Parts: sequence; structure tokens; C-alpha cells
Amino acid sequence: MMTDYELIEQFIKGEQSCFEQLIHRHKNKVFAYISLYIRDQALAEDLFQDTFLKVIQSVKSGKYYDNGKFISWVMRIAHNLIIDHFRRVKQLNTVSNDDYESDLFNSKKFAEDNIEDHMVKRQIQKDIRNLISQLPDDQREVVILRHYSGLSFKEIADITEVSINTALGRMRYALINMRKMMEEKNLTLTFN
Amino acid sequence: MKPMGLTSTPFLAFQEISVGETDLYEDAWGFYPEFNDVIDLMKKVRVSPGKRLTRRLIERIREQ
Repeated sequence: MMTDYELIEQFIKGEQSCFEQLIHRHKNKVFAYISLYIRDQALAEDLFQDTFLKVIQSVKSGKYYDNGKFISWVMRIAHNLIIDHFRRVKQLNTVSNDDYESDLFNSKKFAEDNIEDHMVKRQIQKDIRNLISQLPDDQREVVILRHYSGLSFKEIADITEVSINTALGRMRYALINMRKMMEEKNLTLTFN
Repeated sequence: MKPMGLTSTPFLAFQEISVGETDLYEDAWGFYPEFNDVIDLMKKVRVSPGKRLTRRLIERIREQ
């Protein structure tokens, strides 16, 4: 299997399909970060596309230098786009709190389950998303970047521009808060 | 007299230590043993872009 950097090199040489491979390889991590961090589905989809378009622009203009952490660099771009968005919203003073449901259930396994299981899973997934969405921004970001985007704490610290200890501390508070909310809502695992 | 460091174990940079998928910082803070219930619950959420969205993105890239 080609590394991320090998794919980028081939893409720069004109092999369009190599970038498509990169998208398929990393799309879930990037989309999970954006869509769990901001609640507006349409906006999440726009930012998801903008992230990869910006990545292409930067790669083509020679701004990417390989250090073996392509995904970390992509996530930083996504992070910056989210920050830019919130800055614009703040300026316009039009905060959107639209609720939405993402494409959580598009796995083959999910389709094979019966309706009742489907409903239970759907509800639990919704509950978990709600828990995550109720965390303070800084804690939510660390949880998403670690557990849904698979970044290391070193990478999370770099992207969010805090020390590793601060990122770890935020994670600890997030986990404590989530457990507290789970207990309050009596939320437990009821499916495998 | 031998110069120091030739016979002793050389220092390794953090990046040189092969730990697989384990995050050493996370491991040191013991999140998994302490919060396995919360972490297990979080694993139940799978988020991925729909096929339509991915297709649209690839089309936009091809248009560029």
C-alpha cells in the first residue's frame, strides 16, 4: 500500500486518482471531527469539502512538506476552517443551533439488523452524540480528535495549540463530565 | 579513557520508540482503565460522510 506522501507525489505528477485514494483513506476521520464539533449538518458537509479543496490548493502550491503526518496536517486545516467559520458567525452574531442527524447508519451491518435493533441503536447513538455536544468546546474537541479522528495527544496539542498536559487534562474532565451525564440520564450500553 | 556514551544505552527520542497504536501519554494518564465504560460507549458512534457527499467532493476535485 502506498503511503500518504507517495500518493501526494503521484497526484502532483498528474495522477488524479491518487488524491481520491487519500480522500477514501481519511474521509471518516475528517468528517467525524467536523460533524461532531459543529452541529449544523449542511455546514459540516461544506467544511468537509472545503477542507479537502484547501488541502489540494496547498499541495499544488508546494505548501505541504512531508513529516509522515499528512492526516495531522489535514486536521489542522479543518480546525482552522472551523475557527474561521466561528469568527465569521461571531461577527455576524447569527449563531445556528440547528439540530441534525448525520449519516451515522450507513454500514452494511446496520442494514442487516431488524427494525427494533435499528431504533434502539439510533436512539443510543443520538444520546451519545448529545452527550458529546454538551461538553465545553475545548473538551469536546479533544474527545473528537482522539476518539473519532484517531490523533495522538501530541498531534492534538499541536493542532489546538496547547501543551500536551492541557490536552490530557481536558480529556480527563471530558470523560468525568460524560460519565456524570451518563449517570444522570441512566445511559448504558444496551447493544453490541 | 573511553568517551562517554559508547557502551551505555543510547537515548531515544520519543518518536523513535515503537509503541504501535498506543499513545504513551494517554497510557500514562490511565484513561482506559478508569473510564472504559465511557470510552466503550463512545465507540458505539460511527460517523462517516455519506456516499453522495464523497462523490460530490470527488467531482469538485476533478473539475479543478
